[in-house]
Amino acid sequence: MSDFYEVTYVLSPVLEEDETKKLVETVNGWIEAEGGKIEEVNEWGLKKFATPMEGKTNGYYVNMYFSGPGTVLPVLERQINIHDHILRHLALKFDAKMMRHRDLVKKGDLPTILEIEETESEEDAE
Amino acid sequence: MIKNPTHPKKNNLKTKECKFTAAGIEYIDYKQTDTLEKFINDQGKILPRRVTGNSAKHQRQLATAIKRARFIGLLPYVAENIR
Repeated sequence: MSDFYEVTYVLSPVLEEDETKKLVETVNGWIEAEGGKIEEVNEWGLKKFATPMEGKTNGYYVNMYFSGPGTVLPVLERQINIHDHILRHLALKFDAKMMRHRDLVKKGDLPTILEIEETESEEDAE
Repeated sequence: MIKNPTHPKKNNLKTKECKFTAAGIEYIDYKQTDTLEKFINDQGKILPRRVTGNSAKHQRQLATAIKRARFIGLLPYVAENIR
């Protein structure tokens, strides 16, 4: 029985480019060592924070999806909490609703509210 | 609804509809910040349901999504101009 997870974590901006790459691989290694299977890794790159964190104004965002047994996440979170250069992380376990959402994202036909807003504003103008 | 025919709000009341229900959205993702930004005011506060017309189900999901986005640094807790 394996579950599906999403983790977004923020790396310190003081790291060099190759150090960042190495750290991302290290994190992937922690998951694989526990029997997890990585599905997708998206590096969003350096982004400015909306609120400063730990005295820094920007950070390197990495968003990843993986599946694995229930023992993966506690080990991963412990390693992340110990590591000095990972500023913050957000881990979510997917339920059925989120899996259907992910299938839509993969297919690329995710419904948005932005189109509805446009038609509404046109009506208001009339 | 207002039964009094002379009530000043009689013809001005507009029933609001939940945009998420209309679009058929099941899960609100914290990563879609352009959507979430429409439901916070210029101070960074979450707008109430009576303003946006969201359904209770979607308002709860929206609040969770906004709080997650704030935690990971995608949305502000308090806007920069009033901090």
